[in-house]
Amino acid sequence: MTEPVLSVRDLTVAFATRRGLLTAIDRVSFDIGRGEILGVVGESGAGKSVTGSAVIGLIDPPGRVAGGEIRLGGERIDTLSPAEMRRVRGKRIGMIFQDPLTSLDPLFRVGDQIVETLRTHTGLSARAARARAIDLLAEVGIPAPERRIDGYPHEFSGGMRQRVVIALALAAEPELIIADEPTTALDVSVQAQIITLLKRLCRDHGTAVMLVTHDMGVIAEAADRVAVMYAGRLAEIGPVASVVRDPHHPYAVGLMGAIPTLSQDADRLSQIPGAMPRLTAIPPGCAFNPRCPKVFARCRVDRPEPLPVGPSRVACHLYDKAARAA
Amino acid sequence: MSAYVEVTDLRRVFDVSKPWLNRVIEREPRRFLTAVDRVGFEIVKGETFAIVGESGSGKSTVARMVVGLLPPSAGEVRIANVSMTDPRQAAARRRLRARIQMIFQDPYASMNPRWRVGRIIAEPIRAFDLIKGEAAIRARVGELLGLVGLHADDARKYPHAFSGGQRQRIAIARALASQAEFLVGDEPTSALDVSVQAQILNLMRDLQDRLGLTYLFISHNLAVVRHMATRVGVMYLGRLVEVAPSRDLFARPRHPYTRMLLDAVPDLAHVGRARTPVSGEIPNPIDPPPGCTFNPRCPLANDRCRTEVPALLDGVACHAVQEGRD
Repeated sequence: MTEPVLSVRDLTVAFATRRGLLTAIDRVSFDIGRGEILGVVGESGAGKSVTGSAVIGLIDPPGRVAGGEIRLGGERIDTLSPAEMRRVRGKRIGMIFQDPLTSLDPLFRVGDQIVETLRTHTGLSARAARARAIDLLAEVGIPAPERRIDGYPHEFSGGMRQRVVIALALAAEPELIIADEPTTALDVSVQAQIITLLKRLCRDHGTAVMLVTHDMGVIAEAADRVAVMYAGRLAEIGPVASVVRDPHHPYAVGLMGAIPTLSQDADRLSQIPGAMPRLTAIPPGCAFNPRCPKVFARCRVDRPEPLPVGPSRVACHLYDKAARAA
Repeated sequence: MSAYVEVTDLRRVFDVSKPWLNRVIEREPRRFLTAVDRVGFEIVKGETFAIVGESGSGKSTVARMVVGLLPPSAGEVRIANVSMTDPRQAAARRRLRARIQMIFQDPYASMNPRWRVGRIIAEPIRAFDLIKGEAAIRARVGELLGLVGLHADDARKYPHAFSGGQRQRIAIARALASQAEFLVGDEPTSALDVSVQAQILNLMRDLQDRLGLTYLFISHNLAVVRHMATRVGVMYLGRLVEVAPSRDLFARPRHPYTRMLLDAVPDLAHVGRARTPVSGEIPNPIDPPPGCTFNPRCPLANDRCRTEVPALLDGVACHAVQEGRD
């Protein structure tokens, strides 16, 4: 197998607070290959956004990467200085956030913002950068780009703004795009357009995408592989068809059953009792054990490591053959 | 069976003009936004009527007019044969008020953070003077907390001690405190994580079965609506475009907008689905297109659609369907 674009190994992110050290991300490992979309799902507080922020080096103090390593194209990026990291962000890693209004400067024309990015990272001349910006806007499906390039962000609708943000993320032809809830603020009909666009661009440019969202429907349609996070840990990671249709981890099973779908009649949704633990009170052993219907003694003391189950990796003692044999 | 809630020709216009001085200087006329335009539907006792639509479709405005939080510009709402607008029925309306309650989207904003939960839930009981004596009120609050799956001791805590899902349970307990029989939920689970959403949706259905409640359920999430509703109304730009029993609507959508919406929703069943997304976005409601407001995005639009507003006939407001062109 060729080298993955992004390789995260045992990533640990901790926040120092007055109540002690909170571990927001606890030894998470995954890879994303060229042209691949990895969906990262989980409920609020599961650590999915923090994982994205850690990769782009935007963890704000008091948080810090407390362990593990992050490699982009084989090169470690978690140890770079802030100045070096600034050259990686925007050039080698593009970013798309939930709210397109906050990622665009309201006082500058959208064209100027794309041109600025292009000139900072690619050294194009002003004229060439403007031509390239028009091409980019056309590529993300903005009608009449030669005219719209001189518009201000407030003149664009929500969906069009998110397209501008995608154009901005693609400007320097990055190897990796981190998309954090890119469609959450949009209406469903527009959401579908943005997902299709993201999939097409990723395929055409061979860009790796880390798609962070709480919307399993978006993941099911857009992602190639899915990582399910729970309480800062990876519960299950595998091909989308396998994780969605045939999940293994009891949390993933509960999560999929809890989502109402358009295609099946369920009289009751399966519900997981309780709520995700706060970071200050993560139980010993498996973090899911107090809510797990299949919990047994070992789950309360021994933390499960992700082990291969079929095409996936699952962190659950149920699938630990060695333990069962013993 | 006679309808419990009857809504006829409901209309709401908002004045979105600039201030007087600006209008004089800039020679601009007054501007009006028709948020809800001639909406009519009935809700039978014990059923769940859901209204779906994208943002700006007017679904929340309808909900607010039905509960009486917002006076309609025209049209009438009748609940249990009492007009909510006729001044001659003010006394009957006052008696009915306690039976109608609303559950809001944001469980963090809908409760006074300085009040203990017991006082929050007891407020409707005291406001409508339903139970005499502190001990009896306390007993009733405990009973209500038990009904929504919390503990009677929780009455002593403040809202901040509860998670989003638990707060939504408290909001439901408060709604039921005045022996409500008609609950209006405006996106009651949109702010919750999916596993918690499943808990609240199941709770709402259980309470409906036990207490014979009638629901008006507002949501943008089609899968949730499918799970909850007996009948569904689809809104687009202030108008009801289709009304049908839930099963029929999801099996055989008739209005082109409903079809587009159902096709656009990312769903768990659509792993890796390739699709042709619909083009366009919702037009500006201040300046909606003439005729059928959906005509600029509709594949079936013809000249009649661009000039003449279709009426809701036999559950669908579409010239193409009525002419058999679909």
